[in-house]
Amino acid sequence: MAVLFRVLSVFLLVMTVFMFSKPALAEEDRLDRIEKELGEIRKENNELKLRLKEIETDDEEVRHNLQKLSSLVEVSGYADAEFYFTDQENENNKFRIRHLSLFFSKDIQKEWKLFSEIEYEDAPLIESRHTTDISDKVQGKLFVEQMYIEYHPQVKWDMRLGRFLTPAGIWNIYHYPPFVPTQERPLMVRKIFPQVCDGIQLRNSFTLNDSILDTHLYIANGSGNPGRLDRNENKGIGARVNADIIYGLSAGASYYREKDNQNINADSYGVHLLFNHAPFKFQTEYQFRHNAPESARSFNDKGLYAQLTYDIAKWTFAGRWDWYDSNDTDSKNDLFRYTGAVNYHFAHNVVGKVEYNRNEFDDPAVKDYNEVILAIVVAIGDL
Amino acid sequence: MRFKKAVCFILAALFIFASTGKAGEVIAVIVNKANPINSISEGELKKIYTNNILSWSDGTAIIIYELSVQDPLRNIFSQRILEKEAEKAAEEWAHLKLTNQAKNPPLAMKSEALIIRKISREKGAIGYVSLASVRGSQQIKIVSTFE
Repeated sequence: MAVLFRVLSVFLLVMTVFMFSKPALAEEDRLDRIEKELGEIRKENNELKLRLKEIETDDEEVRHNLQKLSSLVEVSGYADAEFYFTDQENENNKFRIRHLSLFFSKDIQKEWKLFSEIEYEDAPLIESRHTTDISDKVQGKLFVEQMYIEYHPQVKWDMRLGRFLTPAGIWNIYHYPPFVPTQERPLMVRKIFPQVCDGIQLRNSFTLNDSILDTHLYIANGSGNPGRLDRNENKGIGARVNADIIYGLSAGASYYREKDNQNINADSYGVHLLFNHAPFKFQTEYQFRHNAPESARSFNDKGLYAQLTYDIAKWTFAGRWDWYDSNDTDSKNDLFRYTGAVNYHFAHNVVGKVEYNRNEFDDPAVKDYNEVILAIVVAIGDL
Repeated sequence: MRFKKAVCFILAALFIFASTGKAGEVIAVIVNKANPINSISEGELKKIYTNNILSWSDGTAIIIYELSVQDPLRNIFSQRILEKEAEKAAEEWAHLKLTNQAKNPPLAMKSEALIIRKISREKGAIGYVSLASVRGSQQIKIVSTFE
């Protein structure tokens, strides 16, 4: 009897376990199915995401290409307006629209490009009825600062034919107001080497000891003979070389030779150094010109400047020491300038500037004077 | 004494302001699969992104891609490789481009996906994207990674 009771108990126990475990197993199956379905949905979702990303990329590529195609001529440039205060004799305080410079650039073919810079300086007023031909009334100047056709078969070299900035030193090439801390240029700039040249220029970049050596060679009409004034004689020739010595440090030299319209044989020499190590930037240039008139005594003019800038957040602080001697046979005509400037970058292409210049003359007959410039400068074009 | 304190304070403030770079996600430098190089140093990258190297060892011209100046990844790259803020580096390029003196300026793209696509199609191309966006990708070759 006891045995029968034991067997019956075990039977009942097994039955109970069986009856309760069946729904649990069914539940597990259902969960497995749901999990599998979820996995498939996740997989599909990822595939859709990838596809969507592809479509977005396609769309962006199309827009990028369209943008390139639709820009018939690329326009960029800069403009600035300034208050100018001075205590210089015979000079007055003024507000002026200093520059409106427009660059037009067009890739004509893969290897050919047209580049031009039209500059309106001091807001010229020119009327068709010739009422403003008197220079005092014209006020400013309208100037084709650059216009050349460029042939660039490789990034290592290109050739430019037309009018270009004279490749000399640093400031003569890199001087656009949105990107330099001062409105006034160093004293010697444009006095020793000409501002622009009409002619042909060859740039070649060589790899030298693991760094790049940039060279410019050019032949031009000479500083006094733009456009139709050229009589195809007394051509000016020049060269510039710049080497990146180590990252952030570059140095170079420039040379220009010409016989100008006053029959003065002029040989210009320059050396430059740039140390660009954020947040500091230091640049200095020394230029020297030997002037040999055909029927007078030779003389030299020379100049030097050193400029240090410091960038901190949206601010740039700059200091510059400047010297120019227009004739070294006369001991009284040295000019010194001490400049301090603060720039505030409202945006990458909007800069506010405050600049102070102290100008001191060797000649006691010339009175030293001060200048304060408040300017707003904008760059046109994207970063 | 007060003057010395003031100078110390100003110098400390300048230092803090000047070094506001932040580390971010892992950046992968990528090139086309056909490019013979397998790795690239930070020094070489610096030279490429400043136009001090213009072509690869086999003579192929380098095409440089980068992200737009607003992209945080570009700032990380710029601070690490070029040692300056992305906006400052962009301003320097803008000056070179404006004066038409830029030899081979980087081409800025709005998305990493487009950079990957461009690099997968152009033999001489190089660019940088986040590692997560190219992990396991068969289209390009990763030649360097850094944070």
